[in-house]
This record gives sequence, structure tokens and C-alpha cells, in this order.
Amino acid sequence: MHGSDAAVLEAHWGGGAAPFGASWQKTMMWIFIVTDGLLFSGLLCGYGYLRMVSPVPWPRQSEVFSIPFIALMTFILITSSMTMGTAVTAARLGDHKRALHNLVFTIVGGLCFLGCQAYEWSHLIHEGARLTGNPWGPPQFTQAFFVLTGFHGSHVLSGLVILIITAIRTGMGKTPAQGVEMAGLYWHFVDLVWVFIFTLFYLL
Amino acid sequence: MADTTGNPYRIYRITWVILLIITVAMLAAEALHLPRIFLIVFLTAFMMVKAVMIGGNFMHLRYERPSLALMVAGGLLITSLILFSFISREAHHVARSLSN
Repeated sequence: MHGSDAAVLEAHWGGGAAPFGASWQKTMMWIFIVTDGLLFSGLLCGYGYLRMVSPVPWPRQSEVFSIPFIALMTFILITSSMTMGTAVTAARLGDHKRALHNLVFTIVGGLCFLGCQAYEWSHLIHEGARLTGNPWGPPQFTQAFFVLTGFHGSHVLSGLVILIITAIRTGMGKTPAQGVEMAGLYWHFVDLVWVFIFTLFYLL
Repeated sequence: MADTTGNPYRIYRITWVILLIITVAMLAAEALHLPRIFLIVFLTAFMMVKAVMIGGNFMHLRYERPSLALMVAGGLLITSLILFSFISREAHHVARSLSN
């Protein structure tokens, strides 16, 4: 191997005291995100299994859910990710006012998303959706729905708690830029998971 | 870190617009009642594009070392594919035995 190749490899792969060339906080956050991602991967694979072995035809999602309403939820979450990214960069650039504003926008987006999810759950429960059965098809359908969206919703809720604490501390000038970045990584992960749930559960 | 030349926030707005356009395209494909296999391929491809855009631009993976991006994306993708391949094989077996 040439010396220049070794230097390139070292630059890209070298670990030492800072594996991945990142701080320990960021490295640990990424490892947490991977493990949490594996949880949702398992849940989505379990959903696929339930759907494949179901002897009763799976209901058509557009006949159960209001897809435009789910699209609105997706829009809210994507928008909140955009404001979160802006907050992270603003914090990095030392623009605390902008960072705080965008953190608040992100929190409002998260609250709207949770409100929509609460409305969707209560609407479906009112129509007869239960863990043990539903009017549209196999009971596995609502089991998968409640488990997938419930786990995701709980992540949104915990993300909101983190964001609110980060916003308060940013307002007081106590959160370093890296703190905002860690909160942002978690929030984007919540958005990322929704991309998969939206496609695999609501559209396919 | 985001691109600091020019407007550092532009990348988020561009990503947001592209994500919205992709979402609208996915909704249109679902509403058009396309053939099932085409729908699966189309939606899965767009889902992956959205995931890459969120991971790369919002989570800044494109600015990290390739080793970190590979650990995150590769680890999740490979594990999920292995899990799904075993589960789908088992599901196929169970579904066949249930139908007999």
C-alpha cells in the first residue's frame, strides 16, 4: 500500500481517542440511534410477518385511514425536521436567538404531530379498533397499528421532552451547540422512523 | 457540519422541498392504484431516497467520516435485510401450512 493510500485510510478510518472522528457524545448518540433503529426494524419485520401469514385479507389502508390526514402528519414532521436542522446550525454559528426560535417551531410541530396522532387513535378506537379485533379485517392489523404508531409516538413524546429542556437551557444560554445537535439527531431519527412507518404501514 | 459557504440554512430548505415532492409523488402513486409490484418497487425506492436525504442532510452523515456513515447505514440495512429474509421465509412456510 502506498503511503498516500495509508494516509487516506487513516483519515477516514482512524480511531484512536476519537472513534469515527466524532466526540464521545456524538458517537454514543449514534450507537443509541442504531440500537433504537434496530428496535423499529424488528417491529416492522414483525408487522411484515403478521401481514404475510394472515389468513384473512389485509384491509386496504385508504379505506381505514384518512390518507390526506396521515400526509398532513408527515408534512408536520418533515417541517419540524427542517426547523430542527436550522436550529442545530444556528447554535453552531452562535446565533442563539435563531436557534431558540427554531427549537420552539420544532416543539410546536412535535405537539401538532402528537395531537394528530391522539385524534387518529381516538377516532379509530371509536370506530371499533381494538388490540383484540377490528371491523376491517384480521386483529393483527390493529395490533400492528397500535404497536408501531404507539412506539413511534412514545419516541416523539420523549423527543419533545428533550427539546423542551434544550430550548429552556438554550434560552438561558446554558446549552452548548453540541447539546442542540444531540437533541437534533434524536429528532431527525424520529422523522426517519416515520418515513418507514408511513410507507410500509400506511401506503403499501 | 452544514455547508458554511453562502447561506448555511439553504440545504435544509432544499431537502425539505425535495422530501415534500417525494411524499406527494408517493401519495399519487398510492391513489392511482398502480399494479402491486410496481407500487412496492416505486414506494420502497422513494422511501430509501427520503431516508438517505434525512440521514445525509438533516443528520449530517454526509459530513461525517465514511466509517460512521457505514456503521449506521450499513449496520441497520444489513441487519434489517437478514432479519426480513429469515422472517419472510418463515412466514411463507407458515402461510403455506395454514392454507393446506
